[in-house]
Amino acid sequence: MTDISVRGLTKRFGAVTAVRDLTFDVGPGAVTGFLGPNGAGKTTTLRMLLGLVRPTAGTATIGGRRYADLAHPRRVVGAVLEATGFHPGRTGRDHLRILARRTGVPDRRVGEVLDEVALTGEAGRRVGGYSLGQRQRLGLAAALLGDPEVLVLDEPANGLDPAGVAWLRKLLRGRAAEGRTVLVSSHVLAEVAQTVDRVVIVSGGALRYAGAPHADLESAFLELTS
Amino acid sequence: MTVELFKLRSTRTVWILLGAAQLLIIGGISGLMLNGSNLNSPDVLRKAVSHLGLVSLFTLVLGILAVAGEYRHRTITDAYLAEPRRARVILAKLAAYTVTGLGFGVVGLITALATTAIWLAAKGYPVDLSTVDIWRTLVGGVLWNGAFAAIGVGVGALITNLIGAVAAALAWLALIEGIVAQLVGGIKNWLPFALGSALDGLPTVTDGPPQWQAGLALAAYAAAFAIAAVLTSTRRDVG
Repeated sequence: MTDISVRGLTKRFGAVTAVRDLTFDVGPGAVTGFLGPNGAGKTTTLRMLLGLVRPTAGTATIGGRRYADLAHPRRVVGAVLEATGFHPGRTGRDHLRILARRTGVPDRRVGEVLDEVALTGEAGRRVGGYSLGQRQRLGLAAALLGDPEVLVLDEPANGLDPAGVAWLRKLLRGRAAEGRTVLVSSHVLAEVAQTVDRVVIVSGGALRYAGAPHADLESAFLELTS
Repeated sequence: MTVELFKLRSTRTVWILLGAAQLLIIGGISGLMLNGSNLNSPDVLRKAVSHLGLVSLFTLVLGILAVAGEYRHRTITDAYLAEPRRARVILAKLAAYTVTGLGFGVVGLITALATTAIWLAAKGYPVDLSTVDIWRTLVGGVLWNGAFAAIGVGVGALITNLIGAVAAALAWLALIEGIVAQLVGGIKNWLPFALGSALDGLPTVTDGPPQWQAGLALAAYAAAFAIAAVLTSTRRDVG
């Protein structure tokens, strides 16, 4: 029920085609890497999947439904799109309390996800003073609030230190081991290679490869996206 | 809507605007009292308290922040992820900010009455709150604040660039409405600031529509902006 299905997805911004007839599937119980160079259309694809950008053609569904048609979207899909989506004058805890209400989960979930991302000590500070890594953790905490079956993360490792990357890997592997669906975009191959079970590689808005990761992911990536 | 009110309270912006609004009222009324002659005229009290209507400048900016501020900080993404039916997000903001705008009006009313009473008492004049005109101005001023907050939400949803939206709104009030008024002749009393002035009974108003018509027309503006805001927001890409 939590498969991600992308079918013939296309997005044109004026004369520019950002995503071109993209088709792929993402199944549960695995971490799927969504890879491509900068400007490959990864973020636009994820935004279409989440109902933020209207596709020019094609569909992107989660468990067979468009995001906008999910009854409680944040309890099905947890998304982290960028590290900047915070009001700098609001505390981390208040940010999560707002999202908890919007997600339809009790306030105690705020404390739980703060513990889960190891941010409890910073929760009372205004987000404007957070480091990039702390913002990433806060974004991840927000995505986990609804205990979703599907995680969609856009470049989640940006700004994380090596310990943070290791922690993130463990978290994503744990979600997949529970049978959940994890889709994570990245252009940093080294960090992805150790985390993913499957890869979807895009370049120039079009699909280049979908399947098991190659033993030598870097040379395969460079060949596929050149 | 309760989420929207909580969001408002969780940052300092609303309190800063509320404080600045009180300073505007106190300053405006004090200026009138220091410079005004014939303070014993029965109309001076009404003139003084009508300053509360000018707080609508602040509620307008506050309303603009509702949507354009979310775009600026990219929190709009979270709002739409939680409620993909975007019309609901916009309407919740409209309700929350209209209520907040009315709240600004009520606080402004108290400040305006207190400031005026203190000045008049200090100068030895009576404060007569028994006339209908006073209360029409007070209620009209509060409603003006609510209407401009609602219009602000619409403006901010149409012009999602925060700086652009605030600049456009203030330019309209400070400059453009005056120019348009000269071009359109009789319709000039039906432009937003003129309507607010008529609703509030500002001393600058000479020949506006009756108060109740001004109130209805201002509500119509708010509704028109709201409809445009919902239509554009549901179609717009958030990237």
